[in-house]
Amino acid sequence: MAFISPALLLLLAMSVFPLLWALYLSFTDYSATRGGPAHFVWFENYTAILTSAQVHTRALTTLIYVVGAVTLQTALGFSIAYLISRRTHGRGLLTTLFLVPMMLSPVVVGLFWRFMLDAQFGVINSMLDSLGLGQVEWLTQQRTALISLIVVDTWQWTPFIMLIALAGLTAVPKYLYEAASIDRASEWFRFRTITLPLVWPLLLIAVLFRAIEAFRLFDLVYILTSGGPGVSTETLSFHVYKVAFLGFNTGTASAYGILMVLVVIVLTQLYLRYLNKLKED
Amino acid sequence: MRYPKRIRRLSVPRRTAQLATAAMLVATTMAACGQDDGADSSAPKAPATIPELTKDPLTLSFIWFDWPPAHALEDFANAEYAKERPNVTIKVNTVPNANWHDAMFTQFAAHKTDFDIPILDSQHIGEAVTNGNILDITDFVKKNIDVKAYNPYLLAAYGQFPQAETGKRDENASMYGLPLLGDTWTMIYRKDLIGDKPPQTWDQMISVAEKCQADHPGVSGLAFHQANGSDAAAVTYNTVNGVYGGNLWNAKERKIEGVLNDAAGQEAMDVLVNKMKPLTAKGSGNWFIDEVNATVAQGKACIAFNWIAASGGLLDPKQSTLGTTREQILDKLGFATLPSQKTNLVPLGGMGMHVSAYSSKANQAEALNFIKWFERADIQKKWAAAGGVPSRTDALASPEFLDAGPFNQVYADSVPRMRDMWNVPEYARLVDIENTNVNAALNGAKEPEDALDDIAKEQQGVLDSGSGKGGGGL
Repeated sequence: MAFISPALLLLLAMSVFPLLWALYLSFTDYSATRGGPAHFVWFENYTAILTSAQVHTRALTTLIYVVGAVTLQTALGFSIAYLISRRTHGRGLLTTLFLVPMMLSPVVVGLFWRFMLDAQFGVINSMLDSLGLGQVEWLTQQRTALISLIVVDTWQWTPFIMLIALAGLTAVPKYLYEAASIDRASEWFRFRTITLPLVWPLLLIAVLFRAIEAFRLFDLVYILTSGGPGVSTETLSFHVYKVAFLGFNTGTASAYGILMVLVVIVLTQLYLRYLNKLKED
Repeated sequence: MRYPKRIRRLSVPRRTAQLATAAMLVATTMAACGQDDGADSSAPKAPATIPELTKDPLTLSFIWFDWPPAHALEDFANAEYAKERPNVTIKVNTVPNANWHDAMFTQFAAHKTDFDIPILDSQHIGEAVTNGNILDITDFVKKNIDVKAYNPYLLAAYGQFPQAETGKRDENASMYGLPLLGDTWTMIYRKDLIGDKPPQTWDQMISVAEKCQADHPGVSGLAFHQANGSDAAAVTYNTVNGVYGGNLWNAKERKIEGVLNDAAGQEAMDVLVNKMKPLTAKGSGNWFIDEVNATVAQGKACIAFNWIAASGGLLDPKQSTLGTTREQILDKLGFATLPSQKTNLVPLGGMGMHVSAYSSKANQAEALNFIKWFERADIQKKWAAAGGVPSRTDALASPEFLDAGPFNQVYADSVPRMRDMWNVPEYARLVDIENTNVNAALNGAKEPEDALDDIAKEQQGVLDSGSGKGGGGL
């Protein structure tokens, strides 16, 4: 106990206490800048958030973003992992190269994609122009701005899915494929009945992690679009930031944060139950 | 029953750990509760006379956003102030423009700042004063500053709270800051494309830009701020609103709805979105200071609008494709005051110096001494020569200032025409509402009329909810 107590104390002070404190503040009208004691407003902040049209809009944007980004990353990540797993030479080098985007800071990624996607001076439009396809306003039009966010996030985080899928693919026992070959099973049949069922649970874990991360997206939005045009790419996290640091409505921001944590916990529980069921089956 | 003794009595290390945990929680709670001391939220007063200054080495820290004047200030202050106070080092901490408000006010919220002199935008003063974050320097100003040496509105805009009426100063109002850098928009125009004489009215400016764009493929007619960060798109709309005779609000009645979106306001929004926006470059919907400067420097705009204090780089041949010398660039670029239309209003930019209420007494004394030194007539002229924009009338009329840059005369001529936004504690939320909605209108995400009505409605909601506590805010 004595050995782990420093770590435990650190965890309590840096993680558990702020969470409990935020929970307390979420029931008050506290403001970090305006001072004065916090007054209990009980569930007023929660009701305001859950009934706010602005929050509903941000929730929809976040949902579209999470579904779009995670689906794309899963499809691409698994495909790349599948192709790499079939190679015998250069697999290590390829895997390392594919992992590079994941190792970069999201702020750095956001900044260089912002330059690349610039409508006037960006390399993407320059390439499109040279192909005669014209210019696209990647970051300043409603649809393309959200698509751009999804693409950038996919560029950075597909390797994460790929890595986990690759671990699953290499763990599939070879004798299953050998038996299938003896039975003259087609490539598609082998994939459908051996590869996918065995990799699926691991892939779902990766999807879970990515979905939680994507749900909390802030940095890319901040750098690439600032939530624009208008508020069309404002995610829930970005909105919480504005509530917390523009208006310093700390009570509301705390309730908003707690609700987001609850959403993640509930979805994770459902997901884990599904995974357990899958295992039992 | 292998460990019966451990069940009966806690071991010493375990008890120590539990006690330490409890102590940690209590300490953390007290630290967190420290802000709830119910302290008086009005700004504390600075002494009228500067207290005795330390002879020990001292670093006087500023906080500003990262742009050329911030670096110019640090160089200037270290070179000049050190002549009088050799034990003092000046450090200007900079943050990205979009983080400027957050960087200052999150530290204010912690009641501990790593800066002594926050450089607040004129509209931040209300929030800082109401929260008690900066010193009330009214008595200091009375005793140490020659207030008659300034245009009254400049003095009021950068220091007075409650906010002064446009163009005036309330001599009985309290003062919380003094001018550091004056600023306004300048119209930057291509003399080689549209002629030496700048357009005089806003309508004329649009026609000239339209013709220039049609005559010169690849060059856009206009370039201006449209981004939804900082106050970019909001200042653009407010400028057009002012020029077309609109009002941002009725300050006395705290009324925005029905004032901002009246006929003049709607006309301004229509001009901005339907007449000006089509003359800008594709994808310019997220442009701010740097992007506008870049497009001018690359010769891609006929007419552009930017803050004067950020325009110095346009004359740098290393950053421009318009010429290999400053003179060659000036043969092509002209700087003029904004065209007028129904009024001749221009946006008030720039910032003032304030003193953090959470600095040490020694640093507060040094900060007051620096401010007094900076506002001296001779120092204001030196600041002008170093690239700064002073606020004293004598410095504004001095050759040191007027000869320092081709846009300085523009500033001097613009001073009587300035109008500011709202200097209220709710400023950050008001400007965000306006920024996001104007940006949405400029980028086709909202109809212009709807955007303006939404701004008025949402801003009114913020004002009506007052600067109350931390509930609400969505």
